[in-house]
Amino acid sequence: MLAFLRKYQIPLSSGFCLLLSFYILTVSARGQLKNEPVGAVLMWVLRPLQIVAQGTANWFIGIQENYLTWSGFKSENERLRNRIQALEVERQRLLEAEATNRKLQKLLDFRVQLPGKPVTASIIADSASSWFQGCIIDKGSADGVHKDMAVVTPLGVIGKVVSVTGRSAKVILLTDANSGIDVMVQRTRSRGIVSGSLDSGTVLKYMKRSEDVQVGDRLITSGLDGVFPKGLLAGTVIKVNKQSLGLFQSIEVMPAVQSALVEEVLVVGSGGETEPAKN
Amino acid sequence: MKLSLLLFGFGIVLVVLQTTLQRLLPIGPVVPDLILVLCVYWGLHHPTAGAALGSFMLGYSVDIISSRLLGVNAFAMSLVFLSVYLGSRSIWLHHPIVSSIIVFIAALVKGAGLVLVWIVFLSTEGFWQGAVKYIVSEALIAAVLAPFMFALLQHGENLVAKPGTAAQ
Repeated sequence: MLAFLRKYQIPLSSGFCLLLSFYILTVSARGQLKNEPVGAVLMWVLRPLQIVAQGTANWFIGIQENYLTWSGFKSENERLRNRIQALEVERQRLLEAEATNRKLQKLLDFRVQLPGKPVTASIIADSASSWFQGCIIDKGSADGVHKDMAVVTPLGVIGKVVSVTGRSAKVILLTDANSGIDVMVQRTRSRGIVSGSLDSGTVLKYMKRSEDVQVGDRLITSGLDGVFPKGLLAGTVIKVNKQSLGLFQSIEVMPAVQSALVEEVLVVGSGGETEPAKN
Repeated sequence: MKLSLLLFGFGIVLVVLQTTLQRLLPIGPVVPDLILVLCVYWGLHHPTAGAALGSFMLGYSVDIISSRLLGVNAFAMSLVFLSVYLGSRSIWLHHPIVSSIIVFIAALVKGAGLVLVWIVFLSTEGFWQGAVKYIVSEALIAAVLAPFMFALLQHGENLVAKPGTAAQ
């Protein structure tokens, strides 16, 4: 028996891992995986590494941008003169953006628009898989973050918290194929579900063919899903296709927030009504 | 055992790297699957019970960070490890030139595993076209990266095995 186990230890251990992962999948799919100590330990180990890695990545992006600017400086003097003028304009724009940013930061800190007690958090890791759209934020249960809280920015909805450890939380993005946010068309108040899709980006689902939806329509959270406060911008309609068959229209949506460009977010509980972001 | 722990530690670094690559490189929504390449290397060169567990844990780490449903990548990586291990017993797969092909096939196996899990546990609405796109893109990127990562891992192993030689 022992010889058999020793001989086949690799396929047996692999088979055990496959069965274990299938068991975890089943329990996780049923929502019965409440306290998951291994995940908490892994998150505890990964959190500082992710903070360092994300900081390094942001630093590298800055260097890269600077290098691109300076390589143009070196290669073409004549072009540089024009470039300087352009940069001066850009600098003015950036100064203005910085001032706006400060105002937004104050707004974030002030947080009077949002119901409850929003928590300011930083994104410390993006998804490590192409199949799932998510991120990790640096605030967890110790900071008042809990499951099913909404994650937003002043520009609109990012996603919602799906699991929490003491000092970090996992967020499923609006663009994930398994997400779903109850929204309404701001202009007509027609309701639907915004969700990600592996096939065609972000889509608005379950909008009847008879409903009036046009390109450019803004979609705001309805507040009826018990997660997102009412009135947050979720996205804008970019394509409407009324097929000849079927109950619903096929609608593509541009998310209000490009999560890859966001560094800080607000985590907020449900309830109440929010003044939607203006263009 | 020591090597398995080292490779697992390296895998954790790769997981962290994977979480920043999307922001760092203009590669769109496809994240290069470095963990897959590592699991293939593990299955080819150092197949042990610890390596099987390590592949499972690395997949699970990806799940912890990325997936709403835990166990998806753990299942896929365990499947990849087992497939590569069984394949390497039947066919001679250790030539460096074929590493790309093996990783490409392993990525397809992983994709098939993910599709299976998706069909059983998640919604397949608006799924198939995107799934095929992701499977093929991930497989191609992983195949391109494979020879470099294999060389890096081999070099790292040599350093660990012969620290005196490395110092020279």
